[in-house]
Amino acid sequence: MIRSIFGLILVLVLGAIMVAVVPDIEYSEEIHGVGLHYTSQGMQETGSANLVTAVIVAYRGLDTLGEVVVLFCASTSVVLILSLYPLSLKVSRPSFIVAQTSRLLPAPILLLGLYLIAHSHLSPGGGFPGGAVIASAFLLVMLGGTAVPGSSRNLAAVESLAGLSFGLLGFWGVMKLGQFLNNLVLGTGTPGSLVSAGLIPLISLVIGIKVASELSSVFAAFRYKGGH
Amino acid sequence: MSDALFPVVAITMGIMMLAAGIAALYVRRLLSAIIIVAFVSLSASVLFLLMDATDVAVTEAAVGAVVSTMIFLWGRGKIGGDR
Repeated sequence: MIRSIFGLILVLVLGAIMVAVVPDIEYSEEIHGVGLHYTSQGMQETGSANLVTAVIVAYRGLDTLGEVVVLFCASTSVVLILSLYPLSLKVSRPSFIVAQTSRLLPAPILLLGLYLIAHSHLSPGGGFPGGAVIASAFLLVMLGGTAVPGSSRNLAAVESLAGLSFGLLGFWGVMKLGQFLNNLVLGTGTPGSLVSAGLIPLISLVIGIKVASELSSVFAAFRYKGGH
Repeated sequence: MSDALFPVVAITMGIMMLAAGIAALYVRRLLSAIIIVAFVSLSASVLFLLMDATDVAVTEAAVGAVVSTMIFLWGRGKIGGDR
């Protein structure tokens, strides 16, 4: 009873703070500061037609590297904990619908994921969503139960190789232009064509491979005992 | 989407998401709660799409609606189904 009253008071106080603060926030209609630079110069500077990807991969590439490291730590700890304390789920036979769907759909889903990664500098998408889509295709294969699960050691090797390539692509910038993760080591090309935007497609590919293998190994750790 | 229609659709979807979020707290079966949370994720993805945040919409649909739902479902399997 006392806890509910305390919780109610907490919620009311937080609500009062929100009501008091929110009307005072000013949103200006114009873009200024660094946002103005991104929107006016971004396409010329990076060669990427998709400005969101330009900001994520080119201007804020170091933040993305940090994000990849965080995801790596999270997936590694999930797989580690699940290999120490397996869930030991009862894997039942897939129903007719799931079994047939898992034969038909993974290929188009895989294609969509590859498209999202390959066109990250042209259309909405990028390494993270593309990798998640590819991992969901593998998830469907796992659920269908038709696939023989491979060794998760190969998956770990692919993941490590992708992470290493991200770092090496960054050091390419150091060697050539004296700046870590400089996007312009390859030249911008014409914005809007498939081979353009410097290093952005390569970094998207590396992030996509890394996210796909990390999520797949998390799925495998949930699904199979000890990740196999 | 026309500008006049956008607030109507956005507010309707917002109310639906709120109702679904509250329903997920009080629904009796855990499986229903997980599916309702997946519905909220998917609605958020549609709202992002309507607000022209297509990159976020794609990520929300892939991660919020598929990956987290699957992990919730397996977690439900671990604690022994509905209670």
